[in-house]
Amino acid sequence: MHDEPLLSVSNLTVDLLTAKSAIRPVDGVSYTVRQGECLAIVGESGSGKTVMNFAPLGLMPTGVTTQLSGSVRFDGHELIGLSEPELQHIRGKSIGFIFQDPMSALNPVRRIGRQIAEMAELHLNMTPRAAEARALELVKLVGISDPAARLRQYPHELSGGLRQRIVIATALAGEPKLLIADEPTTALDVTVQAQILRLLKDLQKRLNMAMVLITHDMGVVAGAADNIVVMYAARTAERGPVDKVLVTPRHPYTRGLINAIPRREDPIGSEFRGLPGIPPTLGAPIKGCAFAPRCDLAIPACTGSRPPLVQSVDSSVVVACPVVNQGRAAA
Amino acid sequence: MNKLKPILAQLNKFPRIALIVIGLFVALGTFAPWLAPQDPSAQNLLTASQGPSVAHWLGTDHLGRDTLSRLILAANTSLVSVGSVLIIAMTIGILMGTIAGYHRGWVDDLLMRVVDVGLSIPSLITALAVIGIVGPGYWTMVLALALAWWPMSGRISRAVAVSIMSKPHIEALRVLGASPWRIYFGHLLPGTIGAVMVYATADAGTAALAVATLSFLGLGIQPPTPEWGQMLVDALPYLESDPRQVILPGLALTAAVIGFNILGEAIALNRVPRPLTRRMLAMRRTEVAGWSKENSDA
Amino acid sequence: MIHFISKRLKHSLVLLFLASVVCFTLVVSAPGNVAVLIAELRGAVAVPGYVAQVEEEIGLNKPLLMRYVDWLGDAVTGDFGISYRTGQAVSADLPQRMMVTGTLIAGSAVIATLLSLLLGFLGAFWPYKLPDRVSRGLALIGASTPTFFVGALMIYGFSVTFQLFPSFGFNGPISWVLPWLTVAVLPAAVLSRVVRVGLEEAMTSPYVLTAKSKGLGRTAILFREALPNITPVFINALGTQVGLMTATGIIVEPLFAWQGVGDYFLAGVRFRDFMVVQACLLIFLSFFIVVNLIVDLAVLMTDPRIRRQWS
Repeated sequence: MHDEPLLSVSNLTVDLLTAKSAIRPVDGVSYTVRQGECLAIVGESGSGKTVMNFAPLGLMPTGVTTQLSGSVRFDGHELIGLSEPELQHIRGKSIGFIFQDPMSALNPVRRIGRQIAEMAELHLNMTPRAAEARALELVKLVGISDPAARLRQYPHELSGGLRQRIVIATALAGEPKLLIADEPTTALDVTVQAQILRLLKDLQKRLNMAMVLITHDMGVVAGAADNIVVMYAARTAERGPVDKVLVTPRHPYTRGLINAIPRREDPIGSEFRGLPGIPPTLGAPIKGCAFAPRCDLAIPACTGSRPPLVQSVDSSVVVACPVVNQGRAAA
Repeated sequence: MNKLKPILAQLNKFPRIALIVIGLFVALGTFAPWLAPQDPSAQNLLTASQGPSVAHWLGTDHLGRDTLSRLILAANTSLVSVGSVLIIAMTIGILMGTIAGYHRGWVDDLLMRVVDVGLSIPSLITALAVIGIVGPGYWTMVLALALAWWPMSGRISRAVAVSIMSKPHIEALRVLGASPWRIYFGHLLPGTIGAVMVYATADAGTAALAVATLSFLGLGIQPPTPEWGQMLVDALPYLESDPRQVILPGLALTAAVIGFNILGEAIALNRVPRPLTRRMLAMRRTEVAGWSKENSDA
Repeated sequence: MIHFISKRLKHSLVLLFLASVVCFTLVVSAPGNVAVLIAELRGAVAVPGYVAQVEEEIGLNKPLLMRYVDWLGDAVTGDFGISYRTGQAVSADLPQRMMVTGTLIAGSAVIATLLSLLLGFLGAFWPYKLPDRVSRGLALIGASTPTFFVGALMIYGFSVTFQLFPSFGFNGPISWVLPWLTVAVLPAAVLSRVVRVGLEEAMTSPYVLTAKSKGLGRTAILFREALPNITPVFINALGTQVGLMTATGIIVEPLFAWQGVGDYFLAGVRFRDFMVVQACLLIFLSFFIVVNLIVDLAVLMTDPRIRRQWS
């Protein structure tokens, strides 16, 4: 029983139906996260990385109808097919969420103390007074100075970094087993980004939580994650342990992403190395490899059929690229 | 014919029920004299306060006048007076708004302050104050209502004018040395009029209410010209014995206003995403069903 | 806070001054010679020199500025001059009339608030479902039915047919019900849409997604997260509607034979009794200014973001 991962997603496909269009932002993606592990999900905006984590838990904006298939097992329970009240019971209590923009993620007209304490009331059956004490504890835990005063303040009275710490404290209030952090540092100042990331990493270790870290920043991944899933246009391009994928990236897209990180030895004023071209807009699934139009290794076979994920030389890494996997597909 | 197409496409975006009600109101109002089955002011005390009959489909009022004919004629009264009010109010409003939007600076500040004050006083009070000073009468009513109505179109046309003036092609025209007159009459005014017309139409319902209210108070349309509000107040003393004469004009007016209000709600920007209708959902489902699902994992 | 209040008070005083100027000019610019009018009323227009005597009496021959100062000084102390129609002091039964109109507006405001919150929440709780459609339909009908028709229907339904409430008079709470309901219909309809649309907009905001991620249910989110956010907007809209109720009162007070300020104003307009029109207009404008002041303070209390700007 101890061997079963805390979160195991297999062949998850998400279709979003809106009044204007139908799109498939997640197309047959699989990954697992074990207790105490951190998984990074990396990809450009629009690659489906946020939808993949939020849709199975019922966290989609109004006006969108979600259709799920595949399997998402969390803590021994299947999430797909659960009703909204059942999902509501899991949200907050077993899984904590951290959002991209702490400026808008907190209710502007409610005191911070209440916003944290209601979690403890709801999930730990605490009395309001006990919950307030717990909120104070949590605010201390996320490293905020003068915690008692902060609890009485409103979100707009705090800086972005402090607000993100509050959001983290809120997410932790229900004592979750899994923390899903959606670009937790993107909206913050560069100087604050590192602090928040270190805090998250530290908390994850101390509380022995699992964490899914959604980001588009390869630099964030390096220090924080154990495993990595590289997403491109709704599909997995490459998946494996961080130390292997970052050191020897195999998929051309992963290589391009890593190559785009500015380096210390870059001469000042040198041109920014980005990936040429733009990612495809999401819609119906693409027939061949979605990256082929931007890929400098592309061969005619790339556009024929969807490339399967194949184990590379190192068996812990899987890559979906017919060129890199040449000769291995059959094996 | 080709010119009609974009207009029809525009109309198609609005709720059909609103268009039907407004169309009916305008048609009745325009052709009322020919549509009314009987002379609306022919009195006959012998047939007063009667119920529906073959001769009088909706009965007669306390003076024996045919209610159906009076209701139809009242649509004409209402249409004409609402039209006059809106045309005058829009002329003032568009003029003030475009001048404010063209000049900006202190002219803009002053005009918009006046508009703010105008908008903060209920239109009925403004109109009544004017009537109280000048004395009642048809044109007093029209002018009083126009005076109460122009600030709204003034504010809208100012907003439209400002956005037009900030467009690059106006800047280009200025650089090229186009005269202020050409910019004002050639570009600013036509653009503003179009946009304000739409809002004004949606506002016609409230204007119709105001005309009826003033007539109800005896300070608007004067007898014997039939008007819904005035028909209602005429019949009010006989509410217990003949409620139909009160309810019919009330319903006619309410229906017309509902039509305009539905239109207004459709025009007001809807920022909130709506859930899919059942039909749309089924359509999207079949679309998605056609997409292949494959497990790419080895 | 103190800074805000003092600033707002100054602003209100300026507005009050402007309102008084408007009221004064309106009457001064009225066509016809007022002195002749009064002389006619007293049946002495033919008496030689009488018109000049009246001019002297009401101060018409003084310079405009002096007349304004005199008038304002009197108005502040509650003296609004002599009615052209009755020859009596305009202010004679003004306090009583203000009490009547105050009763009408206060009761209607409470009813409209409760009704609109109920309808708005029904709609927001089951968006695009039956309760929402019903609430939307009621709001549309309520906003489109002329007040005088609403009043007539109320009288016919509750007084003529079912004889539950009296159809006229100002004699205790039972007689207040129908006028209250009549005035409350329009604001309740408008405000219910404010609540409904405001709640739905709030429900699409990021902090609601956060609340959802915290495991809160829809009811908790609506009341704890969305409601506090629409409170300032609602108070603002309520203020506007309370202002509009003075206008509705002009229609409803005569309909139910209430002797309020609206009824007085209407009589003044009907008989072109400028002094009464002027007095009522000044009362109305002052009321709007006071309501706006209260609304601003209430918004300040309910919105911590604005509160912070001024602390």
